[in-house]
Amino acid sequence: MELISSFISFLIGYYAMKAYRSSSSRGLLFLYWGFIILGVGTLLRVFTATYVGVITRLEAGTSLSGLINLTALIYSVTQLIAYALFVAAYLFQTRSLNDKTTIVGSAVGSVIAAVFPIYRLFFIPWLELIAITMLAFVTVSTFINWRTRKNNESALVFWGFMLMTLSHVFFLFLPINELFLFVGETTQLAGFICLLTMLAKVSRTSAQ
Amino acid sequence: MRSEHKEYRSKTRIYADILNSIMKHGGRSGPTRILYGANLSYDRLMKHLNQLIELGLVAEEKEKEETVYKLTDKGRTFVLEFVKIEKFAEAFGITI
Repeated sequence: MELISSFISFLIGYYAMKAYRSSSSRGLLFLYWGFIILGVGTLLRVFTATYVGVITRLEAGTSLSGLINLTALIYSVTQLIAYALFVAAYLFQTRSLNDKTTIVGSAVGSVIAAVFPIYRLFFIPWLELIAITMLAFVTVSTFINWRTRKNNESALVFWGFMLMTLSHVFFLFLPINELFLFVGETTQLAGFICLLTMLAKVSRTSAQ
Repeated sequence: MRSEHKEYRSKTRIYADILNSIMKHGGRSGPTRILYGANLSYDRLMKHLNQLIELGLVAEEKEKEETVYKLTDKGRTFVLEFVKIEKFAEAFGITI
């Protein structure tokens, strides 16, 4: 599942790079780096998980906790960098448009997203919370964009980020039940599929 | 009260507007029509048209006593690609 998510992330990153080269829009540059970094982080986790799976099967009793912890840390950090770049893309955009509604709406969304898990859970993994807060900001920004433009492509981007945010909320419940890992990864993949569908729709667009 | 704010157009956006304007008139057009379509002053239009000619996106032709600007294949490809890029950026809420 993560391999597909990583592939989609690279694909969107590539398209954002192509768009940036033609338009020199800084927002697209942030999107490009965000999706590429996200893809690299996810791919690294897939490879490590595969490696760990093979090694532990071949040499029973081998402890790879150091490698697992290091990869988990790198994965979390790359995700946070990617989300920070998405936030930067929208902050930059908001500043250039001077839209107060976007700022207020996004701030409210971020606060709600940050407070909700703290309120409901006694277990607080800080990195997931930061990821949720940043993604909530992006989700609210894309929701405002969808409400303004009212087209299918912007709806798909909103649902893509919404599902990605939800996946991190599910990951928060991981210590309670391991099933949440599967639910979280499925939700994350669904989010990436929304973005892929948007990309397919955009590439089929023709000039009128 | 509606706030008035002048929207900044990037160079690429101006190029796309000029090329789109020519395309809407069947791929060849005089400067006056392009001027209205791209919403530019005459001086700025001529400056950008010269740059588009240098880039090979537009070709200049003389018809009787009038100058006509024709979209090249490269220019047509640029317009088609720009539409996709614009839609991609718009989906994310990014203006170009």
